[in-house]
Parts: sequence; structure tokens; C-alpha cells
Amino acid sequence: MIAHHPSDELLLRAAAGTLDAGSAIVVGAHLEGCVHCRAAVATFESAGGAMLEAIEPVLMAPQALAQTLAAIDAPPRERAAAPPLPRPALPAGVTWPRSLAACTVSPWHWMGPGMRWSRVTLPHAGAANVFLLRIGAGKALANHTHDGLELTHVMCGSFHDGRARFGAGDFDAADGSVRHQPVLEAGGECICLASVQGRLKFDGTIARWIGALVGI
Amino acid sequence: MPTGDELIETIRAVAQAGDRGAFAVLFKHFAPRVKAYLVRSGAAAEVAEELAQETMVTVWRKAASFDPDRAQLSTWIFTIARNLRIDALRRRQDGPRHDDAGAERDDDPLADAVHDAPALEEQLAGVRREAAIRRALLQLPAEQLQALWLSFYDEQSHALIASELQLPIGTVKSRIRLAVNHLRRLLQGSEP
Repeated sequence: MIAHHPSDELLLRAAAGTLDAGSAIVVGAHLEGCVHCRAAVATFESAGGAMLEAIEPVLMAPQALAQTLAAIDAPPRERAAAPPLPRPALPAGVTWPRSLAACTVSPWHWMGPGMRWSRVTLPHAGAANVFLLRIGAGKALANHTHDGLELTHVMCGSFHDGRARFGAGDFDAADGSVRHQPVLEAGGECICLASVQGRLKFDGTIARWIGALVGI
Repeated sequence: MPTGDELIETIRAVAQAGDRGAFAVLFKHFAPRVKAYLVRSGAAAEVAEELAQETMVTVWRKAASFDPDRAQLSTWIFTIARNLRIDALRRRQDGPRHDDAGAERDDDPLADAVHDAPALEEQLAGVRREAAIRRALLQLPAEQLQALWLSFYDEQSHALIASELQLPIGTVKSRIRLAVNHLRRLLQGSEP
């Protein structure tokens, strides 16, 4: 049962296509598993359709239709089917969000006892800071805050961060005012897909050192 | 201006018979609107022209996949234009060096999640939703409707248009929020 959803503002921006690339990946991962938010996005897309009907048209170039018909007649650009991108292993029963289909996902890197992370590289947004955290049952991530907005989608497992409990399919948005320490619950490791605007800022020298080392 | 039903007949003629006359009707109606949307979103006129044409090429190629039971034609065409706009923006930000023209991966995370094979109940909800939303939008105060349209253009335009309207950006945002709340109440009322 999904308990935490993206805000209407995020869903509207998803429908309008005005989310940054990193946020779009994380919100997209939530939508795949959440029929309620899909309905909300479809609603906002309908508003987009109504917007298109209401907008004051802008004249097309004189030859626009002829050019478009010529483009239709041109043979479609041959597109080689892309080979599947390599993916690090996931626990049994956990699948990759389709929103990551075009992204490169690095192998799991060690970042502390029972803690691993992986870099997600987006095809056309190299600057986006998107990563996966994989944390063993009962472990705690170091207390941290963010420069900007941190969006998180829980792929599996569950944690409590002092504000609320987050389980598989849940979505969280934490801005710079939130300083939290996710503590994993017993009963299986937790994998989160996260996108951060700016960097995570960990408390404590060692945690800061690790954060700086891995570049999240 | 053609009615919604007439436009659905024309897209059917495009899908089933490759009818160019019907396509010309769709083009005349939608291409200038798509171009207007792209211009309002901050695209230069020639980029908007090019993307509007590309949108219509996609409408031709994907006409058979349009399902009038799921969405209105204008909603479907809006999502095509939106995706091409996102794609163009990302490619431009990235520069030409990573443009892997040879390999095609679907890099629109949202399109997949929202538009792939819906559950039956989602599909049924689609028809009711579209009709209810169009009605609901008619009930919105003009200032809220205007603000909602603004949210479909990018953030920078928000600030720009807020200054054009001589309104603080906060007022524009709160109007958007009111409009969204109105749609949200509608959605909650229609969910099974």
C-alpha cells in the first residue's frame, strides 16, 4: 500500500513536462506503481489538451503542410534497436523502474558497512544528480540535509526517517529544511532511487568524507 | 472550426486510409496551436515551427495508436508535442557530442508510465475524466484558468508572464494551486 505520493505541484509539472530530468526519472518511477498518481497526471494532461484548444494559434510557415507531407513520405530514420544496458544485480523479485530504461546504472559501490550506492547517468542530462542507495536491514544512513530538493522513490524495503515510515512504492520530497536520518527496518534491505538538486550534506567527519568521496 | 467528433473522424481516416485530405484538416487545426504552445514555452519561432511540424509527422505515424476512449485528440497531441519539446531541450542542453542518433531508447520516463497498456478501469475512467475535466475547466474563474495555462509553459515564462500581468509570482502560483485543487476534487469524486 503506497502511503506517500508526489505533491500535486510535482504531478502537474510532470504532466506539463516542466520537471528537470532527474526529478522526472524519480516521479516517473513512482507513477509506474501508482494508479492514483497516474490518474492525476492524466487529469493534468487533459488540462494540457484544453490549453492547446484555448491557445491563440500562431501562423505556420507558408510551406509547412507541404514540408510535413514530404517528411511523412521520407523513409523513417532507421533506428537500430539499442542493446540492453548493463545493470547491477538487484535482490530477487525487485525490478528496474522503466523510467531508468535509457539511463546508465553503475555497478554497486561500497560506501560503508551494509551500504552501497550506484550512479545513475541520464542520456541527455549529465549534470543531473541521480543515484541508488542500497542499505542493509537495520542499518542507518548518516544524518543529512540537502542543498536543494531531494526526491526519493523506494524500490524495495522500508525505512523510518523520524518523520514517517516509507515502504516500497512510496515517494518522498525533502527540501533543504529537512535534516533526516533514514533508519532501515528489519526484514530486508532497502533500495531507493533518489535525485538531488545540489549535494547531500552529511553530519560528522567520516560521513562527510564518504559523501564527498562518492560525490553524492 | 471542426468539432471534436469531426476531428476524431479525420484521425480515423488518417489511421485507416492514410487520407492526406483528412491530415490537412488536422494540420490546419492543430499545427498552429502546437506552434503557439511551443512559442509560449520559450522556443524560438523557427524551433517552434520545426517541432510543430515534427509533432504532426508523429501524429501521422502514430495515428493508429490514438484511442478516443482514452483521451481527447487535443490531449494526445499535447503529450506528443510536450515529449518532443522535452527531447529537444535536453538534446540542446547536452550539445551534439552525446547525440546517439544511431540507437533509439525511449528516454521519456513519463510517456511509458502513463500511456502504456492501462488497466481496464483506467481506460474507462479516461472517457469520463476527459468530459468532466473540460466541464470543470469551464467553471474556473478566468484568472485561475489563465494561471493554469501558464503552468504548462516553463518556470522562466511564469516569472515573465507574472511581470507582464503585473502580478507577484506568488499570486500566479496561488491561482495555479486553486485551479489544481479544483481538478483534484473532481478526480477524487470520480475515482471508484
